[in-house]
Amino acid sequence: MIINKIRLLSCSTLLAILLVCSPALAEPALNDLVLIANADSGIEHLTKREVINIYLGRYRRLDTGSTAEPIDLSSKTDTKALFYRLLVDKNLAEINAYWSRLVFSGKTRPPQQVDNVDKVLEIVGNNRNALGYINRAAVNSQVIIVFEWSGT
Amino acid sequence: MMDFEVLKRWRHSLVARSIFVVFLVVMLIAGISSIIVNNTVGQRESDQAEKTLNELVEVVANTASIASFAHDEQLASEVVQGMMQNSDVLRVSISSTEGILASAERDSAKLMEGGKNSSGHIIYPLDSPFHLNEHVGTITLDADWDNIESRVKKITQQTLVIQIAQMALVVAITAAIMFIFIVRPIKAISDRLHRLGGDSGNLLTVPRGHQQSELGQLVGDINALTGRLVATLEQERDLQRLQIIARRKYQNLFDHAASGIFVADRCGQLESFNRAFASLTWLPESECIESRLITEINWRAPEQLITMLANSLDEISDNYEYQDDFLLLNNRGIERWVNISILPLGDGNVQGTIVDVTQRKQEEISAKHQAITDTLTGFSNRAGLQHSFDDISMGTEYFALVMIDLSGFKQINEALGFHIGDQLLLRVSARLEEILSIEDHAARIDADEFVLILKGEQRRSSINKRMDRLLEELNQPYEIKTADSFDKANNISISATIGIALFPLDGNNLNELLRSAELALRSSEDRSDSSYHYFDPAQQIAVEHRRMMEDDLRQALNDHELQLFFQPIIDIQAGKMVGAEALLRWNHPEHGMIPPDVFIPLAEQVGLINQIGIFVLEEACLHAADWRKNGVDIYISVNVSAKQIPNGLSPEVVQRTLEEYQLSPDAIVIEITEGLLMSNVAVAQTWIESIRALGLRIYLDDFGTGYSSLSYLKRFPMDTVKIDRSFIRDLYIDKSDRALVEAIITMAASLGLNVVAEGVEDEQQLAILNEIGCGYVQGYYFSRPIKGAELAPFMLRINDELGNKNKMV
Repeated sequence: MIINKIRLLSCSTLLAILLVCSPALAEPALNDLVLIANADSGIEHLTKREVINIYLGRYRRLDTGSTAEPIDLSSKTDTKALFYRLLVDKNLAEINAYWSRLVFSGKTRPPQQVDNVDKVLEIVGNNRNALGYINRAAVNSQVIIVFEWSGT
Repeated sequence: MMDFEVLKRWRHSLVARSIFVVFLVVMLIAGISSIIVNNTVGQRESDQAEKTLNELVEVVANTASIASFAHDEQLASEVVQGMMQNSDVLRVSISSTEGILASAERDSAKLMEGGKNSSGHIIYPLDSPFHLNEHVGTITLDADWDNIESRVKKITQQTLVIQIAQMALVVAITAAIMFIFIVRPIKAISDRLHRLGGDSGNLLTVPRGHQQSELGQLVGDINALTGRLVATLEQERDLQRLQIIARRKYQNLFDHAASGIFVADRCGQLESFNRAFASLTWLPESECIESRLITEINWRAPEQLITMLANSLDEISDNYEYQDDFLLLNNRGIERWVNISILPLGDGNVQGTIVDVTQRKQEEISAKHQAITDTLTGFSNRAGLQHSFDDISMGTEYFALVMIDLSGFKQINEALGFHIGDQLLLRVSARLEEILSIEDHAARIDADEFVLILKGEQRRSSINKRMDRLLEELNQPYEIKTADSFDKANNISISATIGIALFPLDGNNLNELLRSAELALRSSEDRSDSSYHYFDPAQQIAVEHRRMMEDDLRQALNDHELQLFFQPIIDIQAGKMVGAEALLRWNHPEHGMIPPDVFIPLAEQVGLINQIGIFVLEEACLHAADWRKNGVDIYISVNVSAKQIPNGLSPEVVQRTLEEYQLSPDAIVIEITEGLLMSNVAVAQTWIESIRALGLRIYLDDFGTGYSSLSYLKRFPMDTVKIDRSFIRDLYIDKSDRALVEAIITMAASLGLNVVAEGVEDEQQLAILNEIGCGYVQGYYFSRPIKGAELAPFMLRINDELGNKNKMV
């Protein structure tokens, strides 16, 4: 039991070291990952709760009255993992397990997956209801940032 | 009836009883445990059900929260359906924040009732899978309590059934064990015991496997006990056989014994008796054999017999034999003495034997009578007097004891023979009887001594009358015919002296009374008249005084209280002192000087006279020797009494003493009295001759007072006579005295004897004596008796005086 605790403790320490060290590496990613919407969508800003509800299929109706269409990246990308880690603090296996319970009822679907960031930009740039997450650096004029992790 | 008996026996059997008790205990335990089981198992099952439901909710909570989060009714419905699989669930619903997603229920009727049980109502809040504190829905679950309770009940019942079954098994096993290990062996032992005969001596066998158990011990003990019982029984049988033989033997003895044998209780009720008993006791014949009483016999003293019976029975120790003689009479008045000896039998009865002892008894009575009777007179003897005294003193307050002494009887006996003496005594006793009343008693306690007990007499006047008459009767002459001369009768006179003592005044036992009477008698004798005297306590005192003096006298000899004084004897013709009479004095420490005429008779009576005589002789010799050494050449005269001769002061002793002090015989003179000469003429004569043969002179003292028989003077060789002082005293007054003295002197002179005049007290007497030719004098005129030491100076002085006087004359 004590051994287990110690192991748990060392895991947390390792995680803490990772978290502390990662800004040097991922600081661009953390600061840079933003949620984007179509520049004409009328959406100005989304709360984190709204983002969670939309991406995890609870509510997709937006304040504008339209139904949001979240775009997810495929599991091959590190960005997806970072996104869900930042959003609900869960790894991708957990996210997949969550969805596997719901997909059988057929009422709610997981977000549409695309293979890369370019495809995200393309869909969001063309669809007013679409939402996507990309690096800040990739933001273009067709999209606007509706949610970003400002250090928190 | 039989079945009932068996049932009853079974009901009391060990198995039944222990099963019953075990059953009761088990039932009690079962009752208590069923209550406990009911409570605990019920509670446990309820808790378990509740816990299970909670766990169920928790298991589905995750999925339900996802369903609620996503408002997925389908998923919620699946969860609800899944939960309904649990039979304890009555109703379940999952609701999101916007309403019920899914619900299901088992039975709507049950729901209504179940509502009352709020503890079975589980409401589980559902949180968002992504935000811990975000409420997204609720699971509401109602438990099916009827179902739970019915299950609990079922489990409880099963538990109870198992318990009861276990206990029943325990009871059955206990009963079986008891039956196998205890009851069956006991039953086996019991059956064998039943089959055993009481006296066969067979032994019980130990049930198999019980050799070391308590039952084995029990069998061993029973066998030991049986052994003892059998042995005792055999002893008892032997004893009975012996008893039967003994009884037969004794029955024969009993029937044919010459002695009477009987068995009676303390009241004299006869239980059995033999023929000899009936014939010995003249037991009146009776039809009734039962309830004969020993008192039917004509005993002289039946109450004594009953007392003896009771006493022997009251005696604590057994085998204490009582016996006594009893007198009985038959109807013709014939007496028979029987000896009855009784022995307590130990059952409250006594066994007695009766023997005819009439002959022995008569012999005894006659011997007893002879033992207390004087054969000559038929009066009592000394022993008989004691008997009579005991009887009379017991029943009488007063009586007079009269002692009669016949003076002169001894001489009559000696002179005339015992035959006459006996006849005289018979005549005396006949005269005594004349004055006796029927109640009085007479005894002869010595040859010539009679004792009368006069009953009821205490007044002297009355006694005096009878004594006067008695004396008169006794003093009458007795005519006694001797055997050889029929016609010649001896006329014998005797005089009786009488002493009287009164009971209880003068003594309360016979010895005291006899002593008192004898003292009174002696005083009669002393007065030498035929008379009677009463006991005077003063006599007793005198007797005691004398006894005291006796003791003192013995002491005096040892303590040198006796000493010699000397009275000079003067030769008046020659005018000088020639000798001295040794006079003994007793210087008593309390009474002072006691003269010899008081203590010499006492010394004679108590047998001290010889010792004193020798003492006097030795003292005299001692002084004489002393004086002679100093040139005082005188003789000393020593008085000798009748009791001292011949052996008290034997001639040999005299001679030895003189030799011892180296004295010539003329130094000592022996003075004797007429009494000495008279006591035993022959002995006195021999003694005097022996003394004279030694060379000692003999003086005859107190001449003129006794018989003064001139024949004595002739018969006994004397040297000097001493004229008694009583003649000298009135010499110049009484002419007859002077004549007598003159005659004595003349006579003495003619016989060639010297004369000493005693008690010369004055010059006149001396002058007369000188005139009538008396040679020697002694008396106060010249000197009192003086101590030995004073004698020599006195002699010098008196010789000087007399010499001068003679010269002057």
